[in-house]
Amino acid sequence: MTLVTEDGEAPAHPEDEPKHKTVSLGVTDEQVIKVKELARRVLREPFTRRPWSELAFWMVSGVLAAVSLVIVAATMIAGIWLIITFVGLIIIALSLRIARGIGRFQRGLAHNFLGETVEEPNPFVRRPGFFGWLQSALRDRVAWRSVAYLALKLPWTLLGLYVAFSLWWDAFVGLLNPIFWHGDGNSGPMWGLLQNIFLPNRITGGDASFGHTFGLFVLGLLAFFAAPWVMRGFVTVDRLLIRTLLGPDPVAARVRSLEQARTTTVDASAATLRRIERDLHDGTQAQLVALAMRLGMAKEKLDDTDHVDLERVRELVDEAHRGAKEAITELRDIARGIHPPALDIGLEGALATLASRSAVPSELNFDVRDRPTAAIEAIAYFCVAELLANVAQHAHASRVSVSCAQSGSWLRLVVRDDGHGGAHLSTVGSSASGLAGLTERVHAVDGRLDLVSPPGGPTVVTVDLPLSA
Amino acid sequence: MTPEALRVAIAEDSAILRDGLVQLLVDRGFVITGAVGEPAALRSSVAQNPPDVAVIDIRMPPTFTDEGLRLALELRAKHEGLGILLFSQYIETRYAADLLADDAAGIGYLLKDRVADVSDFVEALERVAIGGTALDPEVVTQLIGATRRSDTLSVLTPREREVLALMAEGRSNGAIAQALVISEGAVEKHVANIFTKLDLPVSDQDHRRVLAVLRFLES
Repeated sequence: MTLVTEDGEAPAHPEDEPKHKTVSLGVTDEQVIKVKELARRVLREPFTRRPWSELAFWMVSGVLAAVSLVIVAATMIAGIWLIITFVGLIIIALSLRIARGIGRFQRGLAHNFLGETVEEPNPFVRRPGFFGWLQSALRDRVAWRSVAYLALKLPWTLLGLYVAFSLWWDAFVGLLNPIFWHGDGNSGPMWGLLQNIFLPNRITGGDASFGHTFGLFVLGLLAFFAAPWVMRGFVTVDRLLIRTLLGPDPVAARVRSLEQARTTTVDASAATLRRIERDLHDGTQAQLVALAMRLGMAKEKLDDTDHVDLERVRELVDEAHRGAKEAITELRDIARGIHPPALDIGLEGALATLASRSAVPSELNFDVRDRPTAAIEAIAYFCVAELLANVAQHAHASRVSVSCAQSGSWLRLVVRDDGHGGAHLSTVGSSASGLAGLTERVHAVDGRLDLVSPPGGPTVVTVDLPLSA
Repeated sequence: MTPEALRVAIAEDSAILRDGLVQLLVDRGFVITGAVGEPAALRSSVAQNPPDVAVIDIRMPPTFTDEGLRLALELRAKHEGLGILLFSQYIETRYAADLLADDAAGIGYLLKDRVADVSDFVEALERVAIGGTALDPEVVTQLIGATRRSDTLSVLTPREREVLALMAEGRSNGAIAQALVISEGAVEKHVANIFTKLDLPVSDQDHRRVLAVLRFLES
């Protein structure tokens, strides 16, 4: 129930004040939760699997790195010593081949112990012949990077072993100390890092008092919970080394992607030539042969001196005439497929021509300041042509809009229709000249083609092209 | 024209050309047993309604490479005495060699352009239908080009080689005489010399002509 006071206001309830303001020492609930969370994590960490597998990784990969660095360094030095006799080169090459194998093994260890999945670097490409092998081995960037990894890994491992591993040792000794405290002044070895810092021998030396043992126990406890995090720090740096030095070479990766793009381009142009040849063969050539045949027949009819069937001759000439006109149209279409003459007046004019020819009513927005290179203009033109043709054929749309805009050094084409949607890259263009072919062309210049076409529409195709390629 | 109308089947994937051929051949009094656009259809057409000669386009669906050639070889093996006239936009020497591998009788290989000269084309078709040979001059030129290094034909004089080339096209002595502007008697003498020089057995004259052509093509 609410009582109304003299001045007509509802009584103030002190309980309505937000509670967390008054709770403990100006710390909010969230901060408390965070701290609790952190404490729980720190306390739990030594009992999870992760720090132990990291420790195992450190020991296994450390030993392996030491052994392999010795092998690689020894063979390298021997190779350099003997380099004047040419045998040296062979030894260095062999050493590099070993280094590559070690790199692969280290990558495997990281995968198994740390769950660190590093992509395979480029495979070793062997040139034919012995000298080819020698040259490829000596110039194998992956192997040299493995050598660099080993060289960096070993000192880091030793430091890690000293710091992190000795923390574990502190924990081990400190925690077990009370159990093995015999009270005979010999409370166990003092090897640990913390013991050396906090309980130097000269202070504690031989003192097996309760205080000393308890001190050791506390230090051990601290070490026990700190060790996983220190270890993690070392492992994180090693992971970074593995990723950068044992993973794929960024330069090589770029080269590979360029090679792929080049292959696509070459294939695409071969496919284009084949399509043009097919068009000529099936269309124009056949048309012209039929035309010549009709004229040949007409000629023979006219030569028939007994009876010239003028009616028939007229028919043949008519057909030939029609065929000639069709052949001209076909040739024009093929020529336009090779290089659209409309592009000579610029992309805007060419796209306007396409838009005005579109079977579905269309509008064009064009906002490009810098003129793209000829190759990009051609790709943009063919994209719009193909997309408009697709809209007319498949979309059942009543309107289509084409926009071509510049953003920075990129050209963005958007073709949007109000049709029934549901288009897929695989179904819209099954042939090389379809949407799949367009995608290839676009990828060849490092561009992108995105298709969004939910069932029921609308369909939006976005093509991004660099201004120059 | 032969007293009994020759029966022709056509396999050509270009509709324009197919219709044109049908029109032309019907006009010339041939009977069309089938006009189809792909290999399988011709196969069944020939089986149901055997023609005297089949006109086959080399490039047909599905792969547009040499379907027609393979179909021709298959039909020849299956239907004895069936004349085959291969019809192509291009001349491929290898195709000609495949086709003529064992017997040139009843085989023709012409460029599509040849239909423009209606009479020559019809003549060639008739020749193939009755077991003769009709090779496009282009085929012959290419084959001579391809065989220049071989010395089988080096025993022949240039004139004899010309005569042999025309024989390879499938021409009669009369036609060869006309083409080279020499008398028919001179042609007969050249032909006899060719037979002797190529070491061809004395037998049925037509067969010897075919053998000479084969020798010429193999060389």
